[in-house]
Amino acid sequence: MLTAKTKAPLTTPQMLTFFAVLLTYPLWAQAVGLYEYLGIEIAIFILYALGFNLLFGYTGLPSFGHGAFLGAGAYAYGLMQVHLGAGLLPGLVASIIAGAIASAIVALFLSHRRGIYFALMTIAFGQIFWFLAIKVRGVTGGEDGLLNIFRPTLNFGFFEISLKPNIALYYFVAFVLVLVTLLLWRLVHSPFGMAIQAIRMNEMRARFVGYRVWLIKWSVFTLSGAIAGLAGGLFSLAQESAYPDVMSLHASGLVVMMTLIGGGFVSFWGPVVGVIFYYLARDLLGASTEAWLLWYGLLFMAVMMFSPEGIAGAWGRLVRRLRKSPAAEKPIGEAAE
Amino acid sequence: MDFLSILLPHLINGIALGLLFALIALGFTLIVSVMEVINLAHGSLFALGAYFAMVIIDPNLQNAGPIGEWYLQLPHIARYFIALILAPALVAVVGFVLEICLRRTYGKKKEYGLLLTFGAALVIEESIRLTWGPVEQVLSVPAQFSGAFLMDGMIYSTYRIYAAIFGVIAIVLVWLFLDRTPYGAIIKAGAHDSEMVRALGINLPRLQLLVFGFGAALAAVAGFILTPIWGLRPHVGIDAVIPAFLIIVLGGIGSFWGAVLGGLLVGLTVGLTGAFASDWSLLSMYLLLIAVLTFRARGLLGKKTALEA
Repeated sequence: MLTAKTKAPLTTPQMLTFFAVLLTYPLWAQAVGLYEYLGIEIAIFILYALGFNLLFGYTGLPSFGHGAFLGAGAYAYGLMQVHLGAGLLPGLVASIIAGAIASAIVALFLSHRRGIYFALMTIAFGQIFWFLAIKVRGVTGGEDGLLNIFRPTLNFGFFEISLKPNIALYYFVAFVLVLVTLLLWRLVHSPFGMAIQAIRMNEMRARFVGYRVWLIKWSVFTLSGAIAGLAGGLFSLAQESAYPDVMSLHASGLVVMMTLIGGGFVSFWGPVVGVIFYYLARDLLGASTEAWLLWYGLLFMAVMMFSPEGIAGAWGRLVRRLRKSPAAEKPIGEAAE
Repeated sequence: MDFLSILLPHLINGIALGLLFALIALGFTLIVSVMEVINLAHGSLFALGAYFAMVIIDPNLQNAGPIGEWYLQLPHIARYFIALILAPALVAVVGFVLEICLRRTYGKKKEYGLLLTFGAALVIEESIRLTWGPVEQVLSVPAQFSGAFLMDGMIYSTYRIYAAIFGVIAIVLVWLFLDRTPYGAIIKAGAHDSEMVRALGINLPRLQLLVFGFGAALAAVAGFILTPIWGLRPHVGIDAVIPAFLIIVLGGIGSFWGAVLGGLLVGLTVGLTGAFASDWSLLSMYLLLIAVLTFRARGLLGKKTALEA
């Protein structure tokens, strides 16, 4: 089954639809009552959740402290801008490196762990980073965070674009997201992608086949952290500040929730659906009731009870029912994506 | 004044904190062992217990007629002990509801149950915020337990000593229940091999329901005792659930004495570092966990379980 998938298509209808929606968003956003800044935040969190799902859905490693790496990236970008006045690209490279270093260190402790011990260790590490972000006031600005990180201009040498308007920033973020999506799509269909799925399905067998499981787990964790760092850098670019809230257990839990509610276990696109769903729910429910988290929590509980494969899983079931094919539900790697 | 007597109040604080952490952790570990669910809503149940107790001690009964008046005439300490029984019982009922919701996730991926409880934590926390508001509330303690006294020139808080004694009594009672009663034997057997327990004719769903309720009630009791020290906020649960996780992992999942030992270790670490570097006291417990787990992968007293697969 797995060998048949090694020749993955370069693009799929889902991917093209996603890119089309992404690139045309500013054209129709206002018509349906959304706004440009929301698009920026959604795109950043899709980037974050796609990187997270590499670890969560593909490798089967539940991390409840991923906010730490987002935060590391956000602070790295902010510090570069505030203290060094570095440009946009050096800042983002710094945020990737910060996310990668932070997660590489954490992964050293985690790569021999599995299951519940892995999950609880990620909580502990996530809390440590969050704690440091609040307490090392001299560097991070404490609970207020780093403020006044002004949006720079994108300099191509022969012409410049200011990222101050939301529309310019949106297209910049969307461009980064397209790049990362293509990269991740290739990655999960590469031999490395097969190996991480083998670890999810049966770690011991993967080890017996000859994979160095801890090294693969370490590198997936680091890569996932680097992507979270990039998302963090973009987030502080968009917010013009970096603050510790994104690193709390609550925020780290939300990304797990987004990934799962969309169907990260059954589809590459699960996190995309989940993030969009979360933000739309926040804006639509939040507009009508103050207690939107109550309703979102109830909805999430219902999803876990009745369709734990999330929206993508429910969609897959519906499609199969329409085609009347009796195929059972399959996890990612085996199912059609 | 020698070093030890300066340390003594902090030691007592640490032990009181550790014993109550252990109580939260015990409920948590019971649920993990019998149902293999990491209950992320455990902290919310802790907070809910404290809020219920607050309402039972000082209810708003202005227009409730003679029964309400009679109730308010009762001495404070009597209402306090009524709350001690009634609030955990109410939280146990909430635990029952949660367990019934959880049933649909049994036998599937472990993450589903865990995330269901994360959703439940959101729901309970938001409900608390809507009902009692986001501001800090006070759970009033009877005069007999509050105040402070001087000994050898050091100030001791009466309530913390009471909390420590209460923690010891509660833990001993839980241990007696688990180790000396037939119900305890069934629970331990259920944690060891639930299929076999079912095959022997025990009503497994009812056992799971009761264990979840019992675990929730323990969280509520700990909330009842701890929140007068910490203050009562809607998100106070998170301050309780994180140490409980750490204690379980530190002591070893599924181990009773591991939870007690882990609780005392964490309590003492937080208490003692709190004496010298209060800003950093919470960090110390994470560092303790990482130090222990790096060398003992299954915690201090843990054995290999099915949860790692």
